[in-house]
Amino acid sequence: MAFFLAQRLLYLVPVLIAVSLLTFSISSLLPGDLAMTILADQATPENLAALRRDMGLDQPLWQRYFTWLGHIMQGDFGRSFRTGQTVLQALAERLPVSIELMLLAQLGALSIGVPLAIVCAARSGGPFDRFMTGTAFAMLSVPTFLSAILLIYLFAVELRWLPATGYVPFAEDPLGNLRFMVLPAMTLALAEWPGIMRILRSDMIATLQEDFISLAKAKGLTPARILFVHALKPSSLTLVTITGINIGRLIGGALIVETIFALPGIGRLLVGAILTRDLIILQGVVLLVAAGFVIVNFIVDLLYAVLDPRIRHGHA
Amino acid sequence: MIAATRSSAFAPIFLVAAFALSGSPASAQKAGGTITVGLELDIPGFDPLKVGVYDTAALTASSAIFDTLTTLDANGKVQPRLALSWEPSEDFKTWTFKLRPGVKFHDGTPFNAAAYKANFDRQKDPANKCRCAFYIAGTKSVDAPDELTLVYNLNDPAVNFPALVSFASSNNAVHSPTAWKAKGDDYNRNPVGTGPYVMKSWTAGDRMTLEKNPDYWDKSKVYLDRIVLKPLPDAQSRFASLQSGEVDLIWEDEYSADNIQRAQKDSKLTVHTYTGSGAGVTAFNTKVPPLDDVRVRQALVMALDRKKMSQALTNGLAKPASNPYGDGSWVKCKDDGALPYDVEKAKALIKDYGKPVEFKKLFTATPRGRAAGQVEQQLWKQIGANMEMEQVDQATFPARGFTRQFQVIGWRIIDLADPDVQMYANFHTGSPANLAQYSNPELDGLLQKARTTADTDKRIDLYCQITRLINKEAIWYWSFQNTYYAISTAKIKGLPKMYSGVIDVSRTWKE
Repeated sequence: MAFFLAQRLLYLVPVLIAVSLLTFSISSLLPGDLAMTILADQATPENLAALRRDMGLDQPLWQRYFTWLGHIMQGDFGRSFRTGQTVLQALAERLPVSIELMLLAQLGALSIGVPLAIVCAARSGGPFDRFMTGTAFAMLSVPTFLSAILLIYLFAVELRWLPATGYVPFAEDPLGNLRFMVLPAMTLALAEWPGIMRILRSDMIATLQEDFISLAKAKGLTPARILFVHALKPSSLTLVTITGINIGRLIGGALIVETIFALPGIGRLLVGAILTRDLIILQGVVLLVAAGFVIVNFIVDLLYAVLDPRIRHGHA
Repeated sequence: MIAATRSSAFAPIFLVAAFALSGSPASAQKAGGTITVGLELDIPGFDPLKVGVYDTAALTASSAIFDTLTTLDANGKVQPRLALSWEPSEDFKTWTFKLRPGVKFHDGTPFNAAAYKANFDRQKDPANKCRCAFYIAGTKSVDAPDELTLVYNLNDPAVNFPALVSFASSNNAVHSPTAWKAKGDDYNRNPVGTGPYVMKSWTAGDRMTLEKNPDYWDKSKVYLDRIVLKPLPDAQSRFASLQSGEVDLIWEDEYSADNIQRAQKDSKLTVHTYTGSGAGVTAFNTKVPPLDDVRVRQALVMALDRKKMSQALTNGLAKPASNPYGDGSWVKCKDDGALPYDVEKAKALIKDYGKPVEFKKLFTATPRGRAAGQVEQQLWKQIGANMEMEQVDQATFPARGFTRQFQVIGWRIIDLADPDVQMYANFHTGSPANLAQYSNPELDGLLQKARTTADTDKRIDLYCQITRLINKEAIWYWSFQNTYYAISTAKIKGLPKMYSGVIDVSRTWKE
């Protein structure tokens, strides 16, 4: 296991370097000139030249990349030229909101998707299964911005059960915090559960045809015990992968959902940074988020090993 | 209406008593409570050196945290705030303000002429490279001869200068020099002013809480205990938040026509509207073909059916504009020389030009920019002109204009109390904002004369001559007038006119 861990950790290094390179080059290739953006109506040739020199923008791209990387190695991610906040300050303020949103969304999606998948797989081809597969397909094609507005209209404007927009930190008011989080998390969960359900359902149908299930049935175990104890664990390998990759999708979804529900998370931070060409914030945040994503998937890799001993021992 | 009352501002003596500001009966106003305001954007901060200029969201906050020298009353008349009185020199190039004594910043620093001068000098200092410096380029210096006397030395005459420093822009808001020196980089998000509200807390992207300033010099006119400002960037959920009661007032604009029209029919909501001066405009770069030919420019302007455009883009809410001043300005012209909407004549002009008319117009990379572009594209196609849309993000848009990297560009003349600043900057030969790069000694002469004439009627006449000339030459055209919107619950009272589009809730109250 220690060897496995060390090997996986080694893989992380080139991945993170690639991420930093991509982050840096993509944001540097964005149209528009940073110096010009900052100076706007003060953009005389002399001012532009001076600012480019100050910010190191006159150096070649590769040199700027290494300077940037060097600062990051020392823990200095830089400071926004607009707000004066450092990347780490901005991230520390925003990250808890997005993480909570993603966890709740993932939890919601799993608690809808997993039971439905099990029920469908148990009677695959039956009317309920056919109905749910159809529904899941329909839900997959509903964009989040639409379901968000529909949920707001129903639960906030018409029924007045939940607030339409806003946020309170969990530490300040735990119940209030959850009230604000329900609709955005539900919006994201509504987009995620169909994928979870479809994958788990087909994996379970396959598992249920394996010999050891027939054996369990022959032993006279109850259907519930077979489904939850014997079939679920071996069927959930793809599900775990999907859940890890979904974190990436959820970050993407958070950009939209945080904007609509006015949640102060990293999605909003990124959108703002892109609109105002706040490259220092943009690069720093994207790098850290991407690193987080890579690490989550690294943990997912480890989970495989827990779920399936063959991977642990390198036979897979 | 505004023309009549404003003329008194040009009287030779500019002493205004501090008590002249009398509101409606006091019994109607209720003290206490909180107003929650839904704004469109996250506020980046308040330090002019960092943020350059304040947008609409920042202006709502700055009008509560900061004071300005003057303010405009409901009739557009200049009234005292931090300045008690003012007086111009003979040539209107020097303005002397007498300041209100005994005012303190929220951190206890005394407000005086030296503090004001420090604010100005910091923005003006070329070493600070402040984007805000552009807007004070017309002021040579500010002097503080004594504690309570402030002298503005202008490069050019400005007969209506006190009206121009009346809203809490990044140039006019007065910050505590002690605070920005002590806090350095952190000052941006911890602003300290002399205004009716003090910043208590600010969670980036979520909410800013402002508490009533107990030591405010004019505290009897401040009613609410607390102002909460929230950025709600999505128009639909912002309106839903107002309907469901989470916010009391929201910013809106005519591109959310659906919401405005729904609110107008809802008795629980109030739609606040203010038609200011200025307009959404477009400049032709007259140095590049085919736009160097006046026939092409005239044809393009004549092809625009503004009523149809307003219908398509804003459900008909946007008011067509035929000159740069608009209904909200005191400049009213019997004849503004606007070119008529005339497709046949436009076609004839294009034919007369003889060459294919193809060009690019810059729009912002927003759904609104695209919609506006598509409508113009269609209208111009009808007369045989091909416009290609180029969408540029908002951050780089102004720079493209100031560096003249465009053929046709959309722009805005904002609502200011006097047309001079923008008209002179936009049309005088050699000005950085002369986007059309048009030069005409006759126009230069008229602009110069308009800024040095004190008599209102004569100025109106001059500005009407100016717009007739610009309309004839078709170097810029005007699409829609500036109309500003806010929607609130019916309980919110006392919202002043939204001059320059600023939603100032600092003197409102809740019934």
